[in-house]
Amino acid sequence: MPEAGREKFLKRRHMIFAAIGSAVGLGNVWRFPYMCYEYGGAAFLVAYVVGIFAIGIPWLLTEFAMGHYFQKGAPGVFKSIGKKWEWLGWFPSISAFLIDTYYVVIMAWTLIYFFSSMTLAWGIGEAGAQQAGDFFFKTVLNLSDGPGMIGGLQWPIVAASAFTWFMIYLVIYRGAEIIGKVSEIVMTLAWILIFVIIIRSVTLVGAVDGLNYYLDIDWSVLKGGQVWFAAFSQIAFTLSVGMAGMYTYGRFIAKKGDITNNTIITSLCDSAFAFLAGFAVFSTVGYIMQALGVTLQDVTISGVGLAYVTYPVGISLMPALNRLTGVLFFLMFWLIGLSSAYFLAYGGYIVPMIDKFGWERKKVALWGCVAGFVVGLLYCTQAGLYWLDMVDRTVAFYTLLLGGAGASLVVGWVFGADKLREHVNATSDIKVGPWMDYLIKIVVPLGLFFVVAYGGFMQDLKEPYGGYGSWANSIWILMVLVLVVSFVLQGMKSKDEIS
Amino acid sequence: MTGSAIGTTVFMAVVLIGGLLFCFSHMGKGGGAWED
Repeated sequence: MPEAGREKFLKRRHMIFAAIGSAVGLGNVWRFPYMCYEYGGAAFLVAYVVGIFAIGIPWLLTEFAMGHYFQKGAPGVFKSIGKKWEWLGWFPSISAFLIDTYYVVIMAWTLIYFFSSMTLAWGIGEAGAQQAGDFFFKTVLNLSDGPGMIGGLQWPIVAASAFTWFMIYLVIYRGAEIIGKVSEIVMTLAWILIFVIIIRSVTLVGAVDGLNYYLDIDWSVLKGGQVWFAAFSQIAFTLSVGMAGMYTYGRFIAKKGDITNNTIITSLCDSAFAFLAGFAVFSTVGYIMQALGVTLQDVTISGVGLAYVTYPVGISLMPALNRLTGVLFFLMFWLIGLSSAYFLAYGGYIVPMIDKFGWERKKVALWGCVAGFVVGLLYCTQAGLYWLDMVDRTVAFYTLLLGGAGASLVVGWVFGADKLREHVNATSDIKVGPWMDYLIKIVVPLGLFFVVAYGGFMQDLKEPYGGYGSWANSIWILMVLVLVVSFVLQGMKSKDEIS
Repeated sequence: MTGSAIGTTVFMAVVLIGGLLFCFSHMGKGGGAWED
């Protein structure tokens, strides 16, 4: 397609901000710092850096380059390699849709906390610290006793979710040009906010104790497989690869858009945000330990518990600027969520649908957002957190990693890693050598299979995931469903085949 | 901060800042373009 006529980011910086925005997400704040603490500080970071260069960058480079080469979204890319491979593009597309349905609900909680911070609705001082857990689980979620007890919809979450989907629609319905411009503003603001929050956090009493926990070194962990699993899994989740969207963003890079450099910049900026977020998190944790006289084991330092219980505890206990700190933290959290959410929507499943069926962009964007909102209502119920956890295990772990490994094998062995490298080098300032072929063909798929086997099958086949009993079988059912729908979509005629 | 915590911070700063400086210093020297 001629350069002037195709959809693309207007400026290179728009592309980089959009890619960083898609990569930087909630996991940078609530997963990376915890992993660093849990797996030996610098030892984890050594494994992480090795993984970034051996798996993360080759995987991201593959997705950018294939989208750029074929000028198509993920399903179109794999269909171009061979008709029988199209499902490998739909597999991550459907995963992206499912991830977005619950990701937006997490953003909805964040929006509720943004407003709740203005009044410190969970309380102030030690009383607030004691009530923060109840506020989240009882007041906001009204959590039931198990996945089978769905209960009613939590209307504030429904409303916040609808608002977030509406914002996503506003960003995406006009395509890449607006996405690029919005990403520049959103990510600039997010970086400013994280620095402000870090400054506030490290000036709290006890912050240094928390940072020592975060960054302390334990080299002995490098001998075991656990730290490598932790680092590789973090890399797989943090770069937003395996969710189809990076093929689309690669397609929007200009003809001579420098794929390699963009890939490395995206990976390093994403890692930098995560590393810096750890300073905010652990400084606050150190302050809580000091203020309440508790140990680190008494404080939740990862996942939803960190964001919606521990951090509010810290905000309640702060000697000054409590409300402002809360508002800024949850605004930052919502913004980094937004840039990932519209990436998942537009890059993940809306562009592939437009490519396949030739439907009008505005209509697909509208109905794509409506569908995401409707499916997401499951997570707005009283059992929402349980279902969110199980669906997350399916689509943000199994399908993401298995789909990524499969895609890497097909690109490396069927399309040809050498052909991909030639295309990349023709457009890039930094040239990659034949070693990249081996990374794409062997190291990336092996690394991803290792994570699936070590952290997935070995655990989930031994005992039901998350203690959900037979409900945990939903994970395997959903996986099969994603696979079946991928093949169904492959079997459907495209707009070109119909005409 | 302890010595090992400072060491960890310096390690990551070198990797991240060094990597980004490398990328930005290579812009426009090969086949790519900064402003498209």
